[in-house]
Amino acid sequence: MSSHDPRYGGDSDSDDDNFNPAPADLSDDENNAQDTRARKTNRNEPRTSSPAVEEQEDDDEDEVQPPAGKQPRIAQLDEEEDEEEEDEEEQNDNEDDEEEDDEDEDDVQGGHRRKRRKDRRAAFFDIEAEVDDEDEGEDDEKDGEEIEDFIDNAHPDDIADSGRMNDDRRHRELDRRREMEASLDAEKQAEILRERYGKRAPARGYGDSAVVPKRLLLPSVEDPSIWAVRCKEGKEREVVFSIIRRVEERLGTKNEMPIISAFERGGINSVMKGYIYVEAQRQNDIMIALDGVLNVYPRTKMILVEIKDMPDLLRVIKTPNLEPGAWVRLKKPAKHAGDLAQVLDVTENGLEARVRYIPRLDYGVRDEMTTAEGKRKRPGLPGPRPPQRLFSEVEARKRHPRNIVDNPQTNTWTYMGEDFEHGFLVKDIKIQQLEVKDVNPTLEEVTKFASGAEDGTENLDLKALAASLKDSNTNVAYVPGDVIEVYEGEQRGVIGKATNVQGDIVTLQVTEGDLAGQTIEVPNKGLRKRFRPGDHVKVIGGSRFREEVGMVVKIVDDRVTLLTDQTNTEITVFSKDLREADDIGGQGSLGQYSLLDLVQLDPTTVGCIIKVDRESLVVLDQNGDTRQVMPSQITNKLPKRKTAVAADRNGSEIRLDDVVREYGGQQRQGKIIHIHRSFIYLHSNTTSENAGVFVTRSNNVNTIAAKGGRINNASSGPDLSSMNPALKRNPAGPNMQPPKSFGPDRAMGQTVTVKKGGYKGLLGIVKDTTDTHARVELHTKGKIITVPKADLAFKDKITGRPIDINTRGRGGFGGGGGRGGFGSSGAGDWSGGSRTPMASGGSERTPAWSSSKSSARTPAWSRNPDTSGSRTPAWGDGSRTVNPYDGSRTSYGGATSYGGGSRTPAWSSGAKTPAPDSFGHGSKTPAYGGGGDAWGSKTPAYGAPTPGASGTDSWGYTPGASGSHAFDAPTPGANLGAPTPAALNAPTPGVYSAPTPAAVSAPTPGAWQGGWGADTAPTPAVGAPTPAAYYGAPTPAAYGAPETPAASGPRYTDDD
Amino acid sequence: MFFLHNLERRVTLHPSYFGRNMHDLVTTKLVKDVEGTCAGDYYIIAIMDTFDVSEGRILPGSGLAEFTVGYRAVVWRPFKGEVVDAIAYSVNPHGFFAQAGPLRLFVSSHLMPDEIQYDANATPPQFTNNADMVIEPGTHVRVKIIGLRTEVGEMWAIGSINGDFLGCLQA
Repeated sequence: MSSHDPRYGGDSDSDDDNFNPAPADLSDDENNAQDTRARKTNRNEPRTSSPAVEEQEDDDEDEVQPPAGKQPRIAQLDEEEDEEEEDEEEQNDNEDDEEEDDEDEDDVQGGHRRKRRKDRRAAFFDIEAEVDDEDEGEDDEKDGEEIEDFIDNAHPDDIADSGRMNDDRRHRELDRRREMEASLDAEKQAEILRERYGKRAPARGYGDSAVVPKRLLLPSVEDPSIWAVRCKEGKEREVVFSIIRRVEERLGTKNEMPIISAFERGGINSVMKGYIYVEAQRQNDIMIALDGVLNVYPRTKMILVEIKDMPDLLRVIKTPNLEPGAWVRLKKPAKHAGDLAQVLDVTENGLEARVRYIPRLDYGVRDEMTTAEGKRKRPGLPGPRPPQRLFSEVEARKRHPRNIVDNPQTNTWTYMGEDFEHGFLVKDIKIQQLEVKDVNPTLEEVTKFASGAEDGTENLDLKALAASLKDSNTNVAYVPGDVIEVYEGEQRGVIGKATNVQGDIVTLQVTEGDLAGQTIEVPNKGLRKRFRPGDHVKVIGGSRFREEVGMVVKIVDDRVTLLTDQTNTEITVFSKDLREADDIGGQGSLGQYSLLDLVQLDPTTVGCIIKVDRESLVVLDQNGDTRQVMPSQITNKLPKRKTAVAADRNGSEIRLDDVVREYGGQQRQGKIIHIHRSFIYLHSNTTSENAGVFVTRSNNVNTIAAKGGRINNASSGPDLSSMNPALKRNPAGPNMQPPKSFGPDRAMGQTVTVKKGGYKGLLGIVKDTTDTHARVELHTKGKIITVPKADLAFKDKITGRPIDINTRGRGGFGGGGGRGGFGSSGAGDWSGGSRTPMASGGSERTPAWSSSKSSARTPAWSRNPDTSGSRTPAWGDGSRTVNPYDGSRTSYGGATSYGGGSRTPAWSSGAKTPAPDSFGHGSKTPAYGGGGDAWGSKTPAYGAPTPGASGTDSWGYTPGASGSHAFDAPTPGANLGAPTPAALNAPTPGVYSAPTPAAVSAPTPGAWQGGWGADTAPTPAVGAPTPAAYYGAPTPAAYGAPETPAASGPRYTDDD
Repeated sequence: MFFLHNLERRVTLHPSYFGRNMHDLVTTKLVKDVEGTCAGDYYIIAIMDTFDVSEGRILPGSGLAEFTVGYRAVVWRPFKGEVVDAIAYSVNPHGFFAQAGPLRLFVSSHLMPDEIQYDANATPPQFTNNADMVIEPGTHVRVKIIGLRTEVGEMWAIGSINGDFLGCLQA
């Protein structure tokens, strides 16, 4: 298939790869004879020993003896491994030796030739003599190889015969020469040596380096022509082989093949498929040669290849280099088409690669299925292909116990004729059946391989990964503004900024060097992005560090080391995968999970996210172990509880953001970022391990600085952008929720009108309710509609007056008149006040009320109507204190009704200190007044008997914020009062009220209020009226007396 | 590098603080809000004085008053290439962290002279050239900033001690 003359092909040092590689099946022996002849004719041609050229040489299967005077010019492309070829040459040499021995003597000028010959005798020659050769070392290596090959591969017989013969001859020869040399004097010797080797260097240079100008090697008109002959597609190679055979058959006969060479450039993707190319002098020669060869159609039109196109026929397309560890995709076993595989090894001939991939085994499950159906599918037919799963010995044994051969030591199995190692299927696959370009393995795929390592360690080889990715230069996208360096080609070293990118051409504005300021266009191939230490860059592209952002610390060629922002770790990536980063931080989150979040891994385990990757998270669990999890493996995210409190080993309270130090152990110190049960997660800047997060038990730390916003706040003064705390009345507990109402919804069965919507104005009865809606049976239409409760106005069934159902509900005690009474008393102003406890609650509640129809609410009132005015405060006070007990509703209602009044200290203080103080456990009362609780003093009831009175005046001016908080916040009275009105009642007024009608109305303090108001009027109540009257006026306490003009006053006072 | 910088800031004040000493409050708030913070690419070290406290304007909706305050502050802006003195606070095999005032620096082992090596066996671990240079937590070092990153409220720098007069400061 080739000519021996290397001249033509000698141009391609880099084209040393095979295309369409396939082992040639030919017998060396047959070729030898032929080879010898070829060599003889070519003896005077410059020979070369350059390995590259040698590789170009090929076997002679299809070689035809060239017509006299013509020498074959076109080197056939190498379809065979080097060894074979070399080995063949060895044999040739071997045979040639005898003939050429005499020639050797006078072979002084033929340095290149000698070189060629030398290899056989190197073993016997004094190597020192030839040391002047520059390439000696290289040659020696080569020689060594060749000899080895020879010995390995040649027929043992050959060695036995010719080897022994040669040995003797050579030894004798050598001896002779040495003798001769010894007898000459040094000068002559030098002369001879110079003569012998002196001219060698230049001569060699020519032959060796094969820098024969290319154009001299190009075919000319005198050379044989090449015809393209149609053949059956896919049979190109077969045809060529049959031609080879025919050449061999007819060799030496009369009708030798008149063609010079034949070759094919087929292949699935080749444009030259369907043709073979035949070199011959005349077209007719081809007809003769191909006559009767199958699958080739010389009778159809042959295409004469133009001379200028001839070289292109032989252009070698470089096959990508496969390195162990590289990623490829499978094309061939249909079941695995497209699957990712990793190259383990490439056979020496470069034809096959040993790859491993994840098998798709069904362990015979499907076989059974098909037989059960009665029809047998051909295996490999498309069907649902089994998922990729690592080999499982157990499953394999289940069905095919006989087909499995195992070797547990190495963790390898043979199953159904295929080898499995560590669960992977390992197979030798022809390189053609691998997709080696644009593999772009995704991280998931790669991780499957990585996790398969025996020791469980991740053995991701970034370098191999990058190499696989690097081949596809297509995904390197330069954008205008990138700073780019040319590292290959004529413009090498030029640095500039990309101004325009069009296809593969990048326009650079050169920024450095001699060309600075110029604009040049360069192909995107030899470019790389340029960065400088300190640049802030982001990883893009296929690297597994994608999205990381960091600062460049080191650059070596196109490998850039950067320090990530997220975790302060160093990573190395290719510069093509980087770009300048404008943004900061990079990916701090994956889905809803972000760095340093606390997540629930399983019911008993929590973890803190310490690393966010593209598709997974690394968490530090409460035991201090890190694990990699997918977001889907996380149960949920635990929100940060700002109020979480733990106790350190000294029992001091620690909160988030406190700085604590481990007691014992490594004494690590950090800021608390999470508290979860007894575990605390700390963050420290002093270590980058686990993103500076570590976990420990709360009882294993000491507080260093309790910063968590407690101590600081006190010292730094008030927050000037929010309400001045000094002006706040009751900042601590403003948000008391209205109490839940219990029992059936009061709206049930009520008569209502619809306030809004299409049914506006219609009257109906509530039939059913939910929290928000009510179903109303309309009187008019006899139909049930669903209306939001807010859109309903409740009416009295009989009178049709609007009512408040809440008060009504409570009003169970005393008829519905409360409202009316209230209204008449002018309380209508208290708009919201319909709910005011004292107004409605107070009025309705006590039987006393109902009995004292109009305005007199308490018996006390009614009894001393004249003093009503003066009493008001007292009354109000009473009602205040009372209401809390009255029931949850009342008390809270009260709070609301006061509007500002909910804050009115009077109210709260009253609530808090229900009766005891006012009853002349006066000891306490002064505390209020004097204690700065100006509010307390507001309750005239207390104030009256006590010096608290003095406090009263003060409250108006001094809001006594602190004091009021202190009391109000806990307002035990209010709180307690709600649930246990009776309880409070009993110890306090209850004692007094026992004899009174209040006894009956135990739950309604209003009652007792009234009750004892009546009874004990002489004591506090009576005492109260007087002072209270004065204080009452300005105080909200006065609310208590709707009838009194004072009533309205306090509200405004409150508002300021 | 330190600068005296004229700046302006809007300060809001809750209505509950309106009164005679409003301007004092505004200044107090300004100092509290601003001093020691990182304003993008520089740190505000100290406020010298305020001038030109504008009239307050009530913000619709919230009722807060907004004052525009001009003030003069000492600011520190680290530059690429600037040499700063810092204190190492953490040493790991990849390099060490140091703090120059408010600025945190990382000096990668790639950015140290070749003779300085990480010594994991020392306690605490240190970078040393086995002669006069020992860098361990607490060591004063002179570092050249080669890269800066600004985040909200934080700056972060990469430094090098590869150069004349950089590295350990002999106390």
